[in-house]
Amino acid sequence: MTRYLLRQITLLFFTLLALSLFTFCLSYWFAGSAVTNSSGIFPDDPSYATIATARGFDGGYFGQYIAYLRHLFAGDWGRSLLDGAPVFEQLIVRFGASLEIMLLALLVAWFPGVAFGVLAALKPGRSVDNTILGMSISGYSIPVFWFAQLAILLVAVQWGLTPIAGQINPLFDIPAVTGSILIDIALAQPANPQAAYYSAFMHMILPVTVLAIMPMMLLIRLTRNSMLDVLNKNYIVSSYAKGMSTRRVLWSHALPNAMQQVIRQLSNLISLLIANTFILEVIFSWPGIGNWLVRSIYERDYPVIQGGLLIIGSLILVTHVLLNLFHAWRYPQVRKDLYAAP
Amino acid sequence: MPRPNLYYEERMPSPLQRVWLEFRRNAFAIGALYILIFIVFISLFGPLLTPYGPNQQFIDAISLPPAWSVNGDVRFLLGTDELGRDMITRLIYGARYSFALPLLVVIISALIGVTLGAIAAMTVGVKSSTLKHLLDVLMSIPSLLLALVIIALTGPGLGNALLAIGLVMIPQFLHVTRNAIHDERRKPYVTASRLNGVSDYYLLTMVFFPNIVRVLVIQFTIGLSVAIFDIAALGFLRLGAQAPTPEWGSMLAQSLEVAYVTPWVMALPGLALFITLVSVNLVGETLRQAIQKQLEQ
Repeated sequence: MTRYLLRQITLLFFTLLALSLFTFCLSYWFAGSAVTNSSGIFPDDPSYATIATARGFDGGYFGQYIAYLRHLFAGDWGRSLLDGAPVFEQLIVRFGASLEIMLLALLVAWFPGVAFGVLAALKPGRSVDNTILGMSISGYSIPVFWFAQLAILLVAVQWGLTPIAGQINPLFDIPAVTGSILIDIALAQPANPQAAYYSAFMHMILPVTVLAIMPMMLLIRLTRNSMLDVLNKNYIVSSYAKGMSTRRVLWSHALPNAMQQVIRQLSNLISLLIANTFILEVIFSWPGIGNWLVRSIYERDYPVIQGGLLIIGSLILVTHVLLNLFHAWRYPQVRKDLYAAP
Repeated sequence: MPRPNLYYEERMPSPLQRVWLEFRRNAFAIGALYILIFIVFISLFGPLLTPYGPNQQFIDAISLPPAWSVNGDVRFLLGTDELGRDMITRLIYGARYSFALPLLVVIISALIGVTLGAIAAMTVGVKSSTLKHLLDVLMSIPSLLLALVIIALTGPGLGNALLAIGLVMIPQFLHVTRNAIHDERRKPYVTASRLNGVSDYYLLTMVFFPNIVRVLVIQFTIGLSVAIFDIAALGFLRLGAQAPTPEWGSMLAQSLEVAYVTPWVMALPGLALFITLVSVNLVGETLRQAIQKQLEQ
């Protein structure tokens, strides 16, 4: 395990280095002055010369890259070209907002996804299985931006059950500290927390549900397929032969082993979730990172594009490595395969 | 009529034929395949079928509902949008942008990716776990995000979106081809051909290729579904096809302003996209199951 851990951490280190090198290069690839692109200070600003020196622009490329890394670790990620707000502080807040709906959607998707998958695998080829599979494929194919619009039109406008957009009713004075609205309410201690939580919950319910649909449908298929594999194994037959109840066989023998394959493919699910979060944030005006990144691409706000890409890229890389590690830690037989491989 | 059995040898269908026989048993998948053929047909001959142009405006028919409702006009079967453009004409033209162009992009990047993957797998010696790890990492980044990066560099536009999706697809095909050849490399039939002293080119085209083509077909359907979705999503985010283009995603984006007054303008392009994606995914999933079943035998 230690060897595997070290290898994964080295891999993570080098990929993160490559990512930072890429975002560093972006400031040259974008149009305009590289100093402006990386720091957000315009050439007619009086502090331009100081910034250029501090970022090593009078030296070679290597010195510039080192200076770039130093600025990254110091939390100075430049300023937005549009409003001059420091990118890093904004990123923290928006990252929290994105992470909040992503995690909640994953949570919402997880239990029904696994449950339906198991249900379908128990009766392969029967009508239950066909119905669930058909539902899963069609649910997986709904373009998420269309589905979100339909949901808004029906639930929010026609029935008036939930608000259309945003995180919370703006009349609540909740300062954004972490970005995650539930944590922010807890930190801000408003006069009537119940009402604030209720408002936040109503704003959240539509985006999280829509976001959860596609991962859930993917999870159903993943669970069903790996469960089918496991149910055909000899140890399942032998545990039935020993007279165990179906419930016991499922809970203690089939499900833990089926989860192994599901977890191996979980990174697909995460990348699907991230792509969908981007689109949904634009639709629901959720103040998250996807919304900000898309806007910055229209406006050619280069420091924001750099920072956004860096943070989302790191999130994906770190999750990938963590999933690999979890998989190897939880399932020792995978570790054996890894070591045996040349 | 019974086939007279002249020869004693058994007729063995090829791997691809067996997959097709298995595929044909699923009625839904066949239906989905017909839908896809129909979409290909309308994207080839669409302009011959439609009486109007995609951007032709009718001042007397603005925001008409579909023809079967009370206020509808039979000249405009699926109604018109807020600028008086015929919806069905725009949808038919949109098939070119939302289905035919992604299809072309995936075909081109499949050709490039499979060639590169075959080269990477055949030149053994570069036994690089580094390349594999890097590709693994690249695979884990969502294609939409990579496309966004490329568009951030090149600027919005349909051409740039297509280019971005094409570039994103290439490593996926490369990865799949390389892994598939690696899995087959140690099998007895490959060793036998090597012992026969065949050239590398023959080994690749005649020995490996027929055996990995199934994997490539699956990857192709996955790639097609992703490409269609991504092109539409970029169009929806106004980073892909721009305003008057009747691309389904950008039609959806334009319809947002009027979605509450004339819901059909929003519902129809999404429905077209939904039907296309369901068909592609259903065909892909059935193919995958058919191949799985064949491997288990």
